[in-house]
Amino acid sequence: MSVGYFVKETSINLWRNRLMSLAAVFTVAISLSLVGSALLIRQGVATATSEWQGNVQLLVFLQPNISKSEFKAIESELHSLSTVKSYSYVPRAQAYGDFRRLLANQPDLVNAVPESAVPTFFRVSLVNPAEAPAVGAIFKGQPGVDTVNDNFSAIHTILTISNVSQTVILGIALVLLISAAILILNVIRVAIFSRRREVAVMRLVGATNVFIQVPFMLEGMIQGLLGSLIAAGVVIGVKALISYSIQHFSIHLLDGFVLTSHDLIFTLAVVVAVGVLVGTAGSTVAVRRFLRA
Amino acid sequence: MIRFEDVSKSYSRGSSGVSDISFEIGRGEFVFLIGTSGSGKTTLVKLMNREIKPDTGSIWVAGKNLVTMPAWKVPYFRRNIGVIFQDFRLLPNKSVFQNVAFALEVIGKPRKYINEQVPQILKLVGLDGKSERYPDQLSGGEQQRVAIARAFVNRPLILLADEPTGNLDPETSWGVMNLLERINRTGTAVVMATHDAGIVDSMRRRVIEIDHGTLHRDQSRGIYGIGV
Repeated sequence: MSVGYFVKETSINLWRNRLMSLAAVFTVAISLSLVGSALLIRQGVATATSEWQGNVQLLVFLQPNISKSEFKAIESELHSLSTVKSYSYVPRAQAYGDFRRLLANQPDLVNAVPESAVPTFFRVSLVNPAEAPAVGAIFKGQPGVDTVNDNFSAIHTILTISNVSQTVILGIALVLLISAAILILNVIRVAIFSRRREVAVMRLVGATNVFIQVPFMLEGMIQGLLGSLIAAGVVIGVKALISYSIQHFSIHLLDGFVLTSHDLIFTLAVVVAVGVLVGTAGSTVAVRRFLRA
Repeated sequence: MIRFEDVSKSYSRGSSGVSDISFEIGRGEFVFLIGTSGSGKTTLVKLMNREIKPDTGSIWVAGKNLVTMPAWKVPYFRRNIGVIFQDFRLLPNKSVFQNVAFALEVIGKPRKYINEQVPQILKLVGLDGKSERYPDQLSGGEQQRVAIARAFVNRPLILLADEPTGNLDPETSWGVMNLLERINRTGTAVVMATHDAGIVDSMRRRVIEIDHGTLHRDQSRGIYGIGV
């Protein structure tokens, strides 16, 4: 078999059926643009969530008249808990400084509160922020502990939203992918149907099935590749747009929404691989129908 | 060369089947397969080319058992068989040269061989000088000559012709028949399904008549009407 024959046949066929080829290419491009963007956003949400989770802290406020032994007991408890990633003690001077800094725009309030009224506390980082309620319960009511900040329901809500949105985005991407595959299969099927005379003649003169299939497979592969390259361009554009919006409109909730180049390369690889695979597989399946002996 | 033993083929609807057909065709023979439309001539041609398999019976063509032949061997088998049809089946977007060359390309023949063979065969069928024309620029007779060139370019052992003159006027038909006769003289067996009585009567070759799917007559040097 000559490579020259396949190259010639494939390029002639692509050009002769250029409208159909174009339809296939754009079908792949549009579907995979959506799939790629969905994947990218999902990765962004995942990164943002884990980033944000790392910043979740438990604050254990101490009573003003805490004894040395009570303080030691709390500290050794924090030290021994495996769920605690790290902790630090914030003495009164530092706590008061933070207080003044945070409320700098409300001088009346700041001036009304003496340094002695500001509580000292432990700042505790957890291995898994979802365990905050359990850890909080250990210290709540312990001698020397005034209170534990318990914004736990908020943590729970945010984690749930993040998980649900990641699942939904992934689901949408999968549905898009399946519809893209079906569309490509149909486009190639129509292209092959319009060439059934040629296939019939090939069979008549004794061309093997593999020989008949190769140009169609190459055609599908090239269409898939071209479509996925366009989609890759769109995904790069979407990434740039997201990064630009986050920088210029300083949406604080999205501070953690960072798309690394690693995420981008992974997404592009998926897009191109899926495009080529779907194009090749689609044409193979479609041409098989005409080759049953 | 071709042997049918008690071959039956029936269709659930549409095409007409055949039942209990037995005959043998030798190397280099010229045989007319006659019968009215719907008698089963085309079914026999399809059976010989392994386009379809019989329900019962056995078929041997060019030394191969077509009933037990695995699907992947069929293309290689077909390279020994040339087929032409009433409707020519040329590729409209390929030139005369390309149509004939296509038959060699798709079985993997090298370019050099193709460039040698195609002009030779086009000369044989009387189409030299028209190799760059496209099918729609040719007359019906010329198109059938291209089809014959395509079928014969592999030098097949057998040439199957399914109503090759069905779309042609009598004069053009004779041109095609002369060509088939010349091909037959090179040692290629020709099996031609037809209902053109004039041609059958004046050629005086072996006649196999099919009537309602059964073998009605097998006569050497026969005519179209009832035997001499």
